[in-house]
Amino acid sequence: MERRTFIKLAGASALSIPLTAPLARPAIAQGATTVRWWYHFDNPQHSPAELVAKFEAENPGIKVQAESIPWGGGNDYQTRLFAALVAGNGPDCAMVRLSWAARFQQMKALAPIDDLIAGWAGRSDIADNIWKLNKGADGKQYYLPLQYVVLYLYYRQDLFEQAGLKPPATFEDFRSAAKALTKADVSGFGLRGGSGGFDHWGPFVLGGGASFDKGGMLSEKALAANRWFVDLTLKDKVVPASAPTDSFRQIVDSFKAGRTAMTIHHVGSANEIVGVLADKVSAVPVPRGPDGKGWTYFGDESNAVFAVSKAREAAFKWCAFLSTAENNVVLNKFTGQLPIASSAAKDWTLHPKRFVDASAASLPFAASLPDSPKTPDFIARIWPANMQRALLGQIQPDEMMRAIEQHFHG
Amino acid sequence: MIERRSYARRVLEVELPVLLIVLFALGPYAWMILTSLKPQVELSAWPLNYWPRQATLQHYNDLIARTSFASSLGNSLIIAIGASLLGLGVSIPAAYAFSRFRFRGRQMLLTGFLVINMFPVVLLIIPLFLMMRRLGLIDSFLGVILGHSTFAIPFAIWMLTSYFNAIPKDLDEAATIDGASRLQTIRLIILPLVMPGVATAGIYIFITSWNEYLFAMMLSGQAVRTVTVALQLFIGEFTIQWGLLTAGGTLIALPVTFLFLLVQRRLVGGLTAGAVKS
Amino acid sequence: MPFWFLLPAILITAGVVLVPVAQTAWLSLQDYLLYDPDNARFVGLGNFARIARDEVFWISLSQSFVWITGVVGLQFLLGLVAALLLNQSFWWRGLARSLVIIPWALPSVIIGLMWTWMYDFNLGIINDIALRLGLIAAPIAWLARPDTALYAIMLALIWQGFPFFAVTILAGLQTVPAELYEAAEIDGATARQQLFYVTLPAIADVIATALLLRTIWVANSLDVILVMTGGGPGYATHTLPLYAFLRASSSMEFGYGAALALILTAMLLAVVVLYVRRAARGIET
Repeated sequence: MERRTFIKLAGASALSIPLTAPLARPAIAQGATTVRWWYHFDNPQHSPAELVAKFEAENPGIKVQAESIPWGGGNDYQTRLFAALVAGNGPDCAMVRLSWAARFQQMKALAPIDDLIAGWAGRSDIADNIWKLNKGADGKQYYLPLQYVVLYLYYRQDLFEQAGLKPPATFEDFRSAAKALTKADVSGFGLRGGSGGFDHWGPFVLGGGASFDKGGMLSEKALAANRWFVDLTLKDKVVPASAPTDSFRQIVDSFKAGRTAMTIHHVGSANEIVGVLADKVSAVPVPRGPDGKGWTYFGDESNAVFAVSKAREAAFKWCAFLSTAENNVVLNKFTGQLPIASSAAKDWTLHPKRFVDASAASLPFAASLPDSPKTPDFIARIWPANMQRALLGQIQPDEMMRAIEQHFHG
Repeated sequence: MIERRSYARRVLEVELPVLLIVLFALGPYAWMILTSLKPQVELSAWPLNYWPRQATLQHYNDLIARTSFASSLGNSLIIAIGASLLGLGVSIPAAYAFSRFRFRGRQMLLTGFLVINMFPVVLLIIPLFLMMRRLGLIDSFLGVILGHSTFAIPFAIWMLTSYFNAIPKDLDEAATIDGASRLQTIRLIILPLVMPGVATAGIYIFITSWNEYLFAMMLSGQAVRTVTVALQLFIGEFTIQWGLLTAGGTLIALPVTFLFLLVQRRLVGGLTAGAVKS
Repeated sequence: MPFWFLLPAILITAGVVLVPVAQTAWLSLQDYLLYDPDNARFVGLGNFARIARDEVFWISLSQSFVWITGVVGLQFLLGLVAALLLNQSFWWRGLARSLVIIPWALPSVIIGLMWTWMYDFNLGIINDIALRLGLIAAPIAWLARPDTALYAIMLALIWQGFPFFAVTILAGLQTVPAELYEAAEIDGATARQQLFYVTLPAIADVIATALLLRTIWVANSLDVILVMTGGGPGYATHTLPLYAFLRASSSMEFGYGAALALILTAMLLAVVVLYVRRAARGIET
């Protein structure tokens, strides 16, 4: 049906509103390039307005339209971004996650930006490790890193000292420490079995030899590592009873309340935890497996410039501006994560130093999830459902691994 | 019913249970409003204090001044009015035809409109997204209004048909004998009589459209974001802004509560006769 | 003549409902990924075969049954009790009738948020009250536990829907002739006997219509679940419409999602037919 017919049918009364053109579009001065940028901040009262004003003053002729999109408790932001790109009204650039890259590629939504990065002065201010993690599967650069978090192990210094223990460096250290610290009202390890908990499972199972390659979940090593991990709950009983369903809020609250002696998270929660436990808490990188290999989750937040953008260079300028030292600091004050620029990280004062150090020490073996179109679904559906059922004893640990293998490799 | 109960027994057997049911019905609503009036400090206080010690409108101020909620209220208003106008505009003539004409396929068509109201939203939302994309109507008022017309039109036709039926046909005949044309009869006799019904149906569509979430979420974006979608803004990855959420919820809920109470009596008649999605 | 009156409504409805439904049917026969539409393949009934082997589909289906029977049944019982009470005479009856209706007017999103807030692990009033009364020893994460999440959401939906039953049944009660009660009195019927032999049979029709309508509505509703848990933890709060929606919106598998939506529609068809028969009778004058 013709659009025109629709409008006719909608009746004259409705025509007083410019229906197909939204009302609130700021008038843009002639000749200016407009860059639409999507972002999500946890706190809706934080606004990037001051950054936008600063950028526009430095770059006359470019207008930035920053659009706050709800994260929405789950996949809202991601779903909307994909839907907008598919619908053809997506932004020029947006905050994105590494795990979405493959799906973007399938949509042909991204174009390499190596040429633009080469000409950017701030390039050397970002650690090589991070550039490496940020590369696409084909070795080209599609994203511009914006901030990062690395998962590390929180532990109660005071309880460890009382028990005469050192922070655990290997899996077995970890297990015996967890056992030693488990008492009537304290569990050794605050395990996150609920949504988002793959970052607790990864260090022990991916670090213990599993991989996302074909057959990588079903090797003897992988299956053994996963059994070991499930046994922390079922046999060793070093986790709280609510572990199979605990999510971010519960693991942090239990740790703050002294109900757990160790847990895994990142600097995003450091200030909240220190606010309660002060210097009773510290952090080290997560323990490593028997072969010394390790794995921890690199939680990234990058910016991507989309292939369809008519303002590619201006959009890149804006993203580069956000990843430059002092602007990056301002932005990370809003998001509570770590600045990507090394020069900014040096005198970073927003988190106690020991947690920043633990993050930096974790970088060498930090990794993101595979760059596959199956990954978003693995995070949202496959992992949580199967992990939970394994921890509740409803399925065998090996069945869980088979389900993951099947999801990725059919 | 018949025997005169003693006062005490009536209180015990009727008034007290009714009070409990009313409390159950209003409790969550009241709790939302109370939460929205508590300062941040009291929001995270444990154990809870039920009544705000220091009532504040801070969250409402923040909501209007520091977030884009106000413009979402405007968007929702436009969409809900648009959906009501579109729904009524095409349904009034259709309902008149169903009520006053007998023609082949009438029963089938009428049943068809009823069945459409029963379709799962999921069934429609997938292809509608593709269709709006093709028409370039994603993130436009018209797109969301058309999405909402999927329930507004069938609903309005049913409700209005029952209201038209309630107007005696003798009136039409008398007017015709007096020499009025059909259109004059409609304009001068029938429409004025059916107006309260039209208003009720319009307000009900307005409420449904204002409350609607799934179509709004799939078909709108930054430009025409509705209030129900905007509320999700306050749910972050790590934190939930309960003060803002409850303030926003209160601002969304109060107008529809008021409208609903306004039309509830007349609505129930239409509802029990016609078919409605709640 | 009637043709011109009906045309606008039919045209728009065909455009926004019939064409899309036909397209859903067509999509369900394809492996259609929203982010990769160029590679959409025709797979015939392949999606349906996959659904039959899909464990999550069966989980969602069985939970849909729990969901529908639990929610509709309890909404009805609570609504019936409320209607019988509100039919008695006491001085603030009018006010009570208006107030009870309020949950029905609220947006699902707000209801979801309200109840999520009340169920909150740390600051929820439900944990607080249960702790104070000594019903539980430690706070419970109601919405994060697979054994409680579905029931927690059901309670929110029962709260939202019982006023509908209360109002419709009340309207029915007011049409029951007083002579019937007088006759029953004379025959020496107790209050309970009056309820079962006079009141309920007299309003059976209203109840049946309301039950069918609510069944359809509850079976299709997914927004409260979406807002409260998004279907989690695991698959604990997946119902069929929600699963179809998630496969379409977050996994972007439009073909698979369309097939799931069609299965849901087909299952509801019987209820819809029953309802339509009743409702069509009501409109004929």
